[in-house]
Amino acid sequence: MLNELLFEFATWLDGFQASTNLHEALYAYGWVEATHVLTLTLFLGMLLVIDLRLLGVAFKELPASTLMERLDKPMMIGFVVMIISGILLYFAIPVRSTQSIWFRIKVVLLIAAGINALLIRNMTRSADLAWDNDPVPPKRIRVGAGLSLSLWALVVVCGRNMAYDWWDCHKEMPYFMYWAAGCVNELAAFE
Amino acid sequence: MNVVPFFEWLDATWLASFAKTYAGLFSMVQAVHILSMVMLVGMIILGDLRMLNVVLKGVPSDVIIQNTKKWIYIGLVGIVLSGIYEASAIAMKLAYNSFFWAKMAGLAMGIVFMLSFRSAVYSRAPETIASTGPKSDAVEPWVVKLVASASLLIWFSVAANGRWIGFS
Repeated sequence: MLNELLFEFATWLDGFQASTNLHEALYAYGWVEATHVLTLTLFLGMLLVIDLRLLGVAFKELPASTLMERLDKPMMIGFVVMIISGILLYFAIPVRSTQSIWFRIKVVLLIAAGINALLIRNMTRSADLAWDNDPVPPKRIRVGAGLSLSLWALVVVCGRNMAYDWWDCHKEMPYFMYWAAGCVNELAAFE
Repeated sequence: MNVVPFFEWLDATWLASFAKTYAGLFSMVQAVHILSMVMLVGMIILGDLRMLNVVLKGVPSDVIIQNTKKWIYIGLVGIVLSGIYEASAIAMKLAYNSFFWAKMAGLAMGIVFMLSFRSAVYSRAPETIASTGPKSDAVEPWVVKLVASASLLIWFSVAANGRWIGFS
């Protein structure tokens, strides 16, 4: 049901001339993709600085709250540019992305990373930052920071692997893979 | 200097045939290359934006720069090792690829610049930027900002040319 809806949505997007134009553009598509990847250095770079501090392995001389509060803005600027360029990339190749097992895992990991970020934000409200100046923060904070870095690293892996066609719907695959990738037409052939 | 024989040699090594054989492993190494870039360039961006007084203004700059060093070196090792692995799989393409050579020129420039000018100028940043107390050998603020902008530009060119190897 969900797979059919997603497929219909992707097919609808695919009907726009702008989608085809962007995909087939000589330089525009490349620049959107380059922007998406290069903005990682800003977004993930700032996240890395904050998380390394929360892990207690770097910038230990500085209060954790200083880095979290003041690097938030550059990090979010990078995040917004990544989201916008990511939406454009999806718009350029909607059907294949929707039916990409990597894209699906990536979306799940992004949601998990978002929930983890909210939990960290709740645990680092300025009121209960008794450990702000401690070189090594409490264990629950370190676990959160470790999870954050791991989830984002896996997001990068999935994003990179989307470029490969190993598990595209047109390939010969086990039933489970057609199901997981949401290959509605191939699944229909099984019935 | 003719460098083509070096790439012919690289193309014939066991590493090249190994890298060409396992596509799944190759994509993982590509991800390691990207993540190393995040560590290397992310830490450089932090230092450069700090010296431009864009982020963390008022926080002693020496502390920031000192803390980034270790991660810059780890990132550099990761990026070079994964880069050699990736290069071995497409050695003959790279030998004639202008984006690859632009990237290598930028990388060499970036490393030399970081270890010489960038490091020397940042440690002599005036009080208005560094916030570490008055220094006798301080340079003008515009010198620091010029070095920071040049550093950002060089590393952007390395990353952008790198991405473009795949499109060319």
